[in-house]
Amino acid sequence: MIDITAFNDALGIMFTSVGSWGWIVPGLIVGLVFSAIPGISITMAMAIVLPMSLYMDFFSAIVFLTSVYTGAGFGGSVPAILMNIPGSPSSFATTFDGYAMSQKGEHNEALGYALFASTLCGIAGYLLLLLVIEPLADIVLRIGPVEMFAVAIWGMMLLGSLGSTYISRGLLAAAFGILLGTVGMNTAGFTRGTLGLPVLLDGIAPIPAMIGLLAASQLLSLATRDYIIEAEGSREVSLRKILKGCWGTMKYPGVLLRGSIIGIIIGAVPGVGSSIGNLIAYAETKRTAKDSATFGKGNPKGVIAAESAVASGEGGSMATMLALGIPGGGATAILIAAFMMHNIVPGPSFIETQKPMVYAIILNNIVQAIVLLAVGIGFIYVASNIMKVRTRYVLPAILVIATLGTYAVTGEAAGPITLFVFALLGYALNRYEYPVSAVVVGILLGRMLETEFLRSYQLSGGNPMYILERPAAMAIFAVMFASLAMTAWGKRKQNRAEAAEALAMERLRDEAAANAAHTTPSKG
Amino acid sequence: MRIGRQTYVIDYGHLALITLIAGAVFWYLFDARSVSLSVNNLLLVQPVAIFALAMYLFILPQCFRKVDAVAAPRAGGEKDPFAIEVSTGHSDIIRMVALGVSLGLMVFLLDVIGFDIAIFLFAAAAMAICGERRPVHLLVFSLAVTLVTIYGFRALISYPMPTTLL
Repeated sequence: MIDITAFNDALGIMFTSVGSWGWIVPGLIVGLVFSAIPGISITMAMAIVLPMSLYMDFFSAIVFLTSVYTGAGFGGSVPAILMNIPGSPSSFATTFDGYAMSQKGEHNEALGYALFASTLCGIAGYLLLLLVIEPLADIVLRIGPVEMFAVAIWGMMLLGSLGSTYISRGLLAAAFGILLGTVGMNTAGFTRGTLGLPVLLDGIAPIPAMIGLLAASQLLSLATRDYIIEAEGSREVSLRKILKGCWGTMKYPGVLLRGSIIGIIIGAVPGVGSSIGNLIAYAETKRTAKDSATFGKGNPKGVIAAESAVASGEGGSMATMLALGIPGGGATAILIAAFMMHNIVPGPSFIETQKPMVYAIILNNIVQAIVLLAVGIGFIYVASNIMKVRTRYVLPAILVIATLGTYAVTGEAAGPITLFVFALLGYALNRYEYPVSAVVVGILLGRMLETEFLRSYQLSGGNPMYILERPAAMAIFAVMFASLAMTAWGKRKQNRAEAAEALAMERLRDEAAANAAHTTPSKG
Repeated sequence: MRIGRQTYVIDYGHLALITLIAGAVFWYLFDARSVSLSVNNLLLVQPVAIFALAMYLFILPQCFRKVDAVAAPRAGGEKDPFAIEVSTGHSDIIRMVALGVSLGLMVFLLDVIGFDIAIFLFAAAAMAICGERRPVHLLVFSLAVTLVTIYGFRALISYPMPTTLL
């Protein structure tokens, strides 16, 4: 299961680049702090610090960014438990039982459950990745340009169809993103869509565009929300009770395992991500629990299930990203951008040629999960103060950092201008329920899609029947169309059910109003 | 707008957005075709552009809603926890537009008036837009943001950052 030679080399990388370990704690703190501030998501936190990683060596940059990812996974649960405000969408399910425990005065225990579940399941997700990377490498090495094209299209379709309430809007966003990604000179030497601007010859700068779409656009919509959190969060923090909660997590191995499995699977599918994983894990745990009636009233299993899915989802999404070079969502799209900034393309060839580096990244993430335990406990002590920072202070500072970050990447005004244009576009897309992550991934993958498609075309000599010689590609396309049809059918069914439910509710309201009119004695 | 007996409400913002996207896609396709009609040029761009335009036509009717449908709350009525909430109130929209304009001004004036002054003015404007009215807070926090970011990024990046005062 594990390539021992590559594993030993990975240990060598780990110990020879001890300097990069120094980025774990700052990365975790950045992730914890940003995601604890209501309105700032994991993706936003990573997008804002992405330009800083340009000035680090490759391994340090990945260590820093994945630390932010790990920290942000747990950070969002602190306001969720203490104040019933999910710091990020992935902590939504944590509020159900976490806040209920908090109301009962068990907030320390709840934080302990969340922290230990995050740590254990983060490790579990990466341990599984460590085991499957070798067999995955064998599979992905057989992938040719046709299969790669099919996989990338499938990923885009999933991002488009699952990332929005409306499939059509998701697909338009994905197609628009792909087209934006092909602007400039393609591999065959044709130059399109540059408006005569030399800066666009290499295409739209992906990092400023990504920061604009994922971070700045959402910051613009935060202008109307000046959070003022009351003193409720300043509850007493007790290390003893947190540790009691940590220890208590071990009593629920089944919940941890189920949450981890759901998190890994959901995390590996492009377009779904941890924001859905935590809800599914919570719902499944509730459905199968004997004490399901106590869920929502402060059952620790609810907190553990939600947090375990969030933490293990990171390993799942990293598997897709490392093996195929396809980002599962915003956070892994940023990691891919970090790879690109260091002229490294993740995917089959990366796994083949850089296996020790892949193992080193995985091992480092396991270390991060362990360090999170200590940093997380320290963070809980200061968290209530961070959550009270008002938007009016956070917003200008972050927007300035994001703008200067894009300047740091491009070295000219084109970076901030790209950020601005894409911030406006992202804001409009968010407003009308278009999945922004589909546009981001389209920009990142557009060029690769075109190159793989061109290679497939050249290999086949322009004969479309060539696909019949590639059963794997046919299977991927078949699964893609089936999943798209199932999503469309599912959403149609859901819409009908919701409409019927609304109609029934309206009838009930009408009947209640009629009954009230009958029973109320008429005046005069 | 009335079509036959039915009255429709037009979502002009959504209509403008998708028409803008469709216009950009159409222009890009036209530009790519004007460069060359070679398969190596149009292999991906042409089918994806046509697909995007087809999606535009499919989405277009969603911008026109029957008055009854608008009046009734959305089926299910439950709040989607993952949706990014974008306020629709008049004053909220003005705030967001003001913040967008401030960001645009800062971005385009960075090279003209210097990074330091542009950042200071933007930070103060953004704080004021978000509701800060106390002059000392506006001044001190904007100055702190300017100093920290200018000196911080100057230490980090190798490109020159034109400034006027710092």
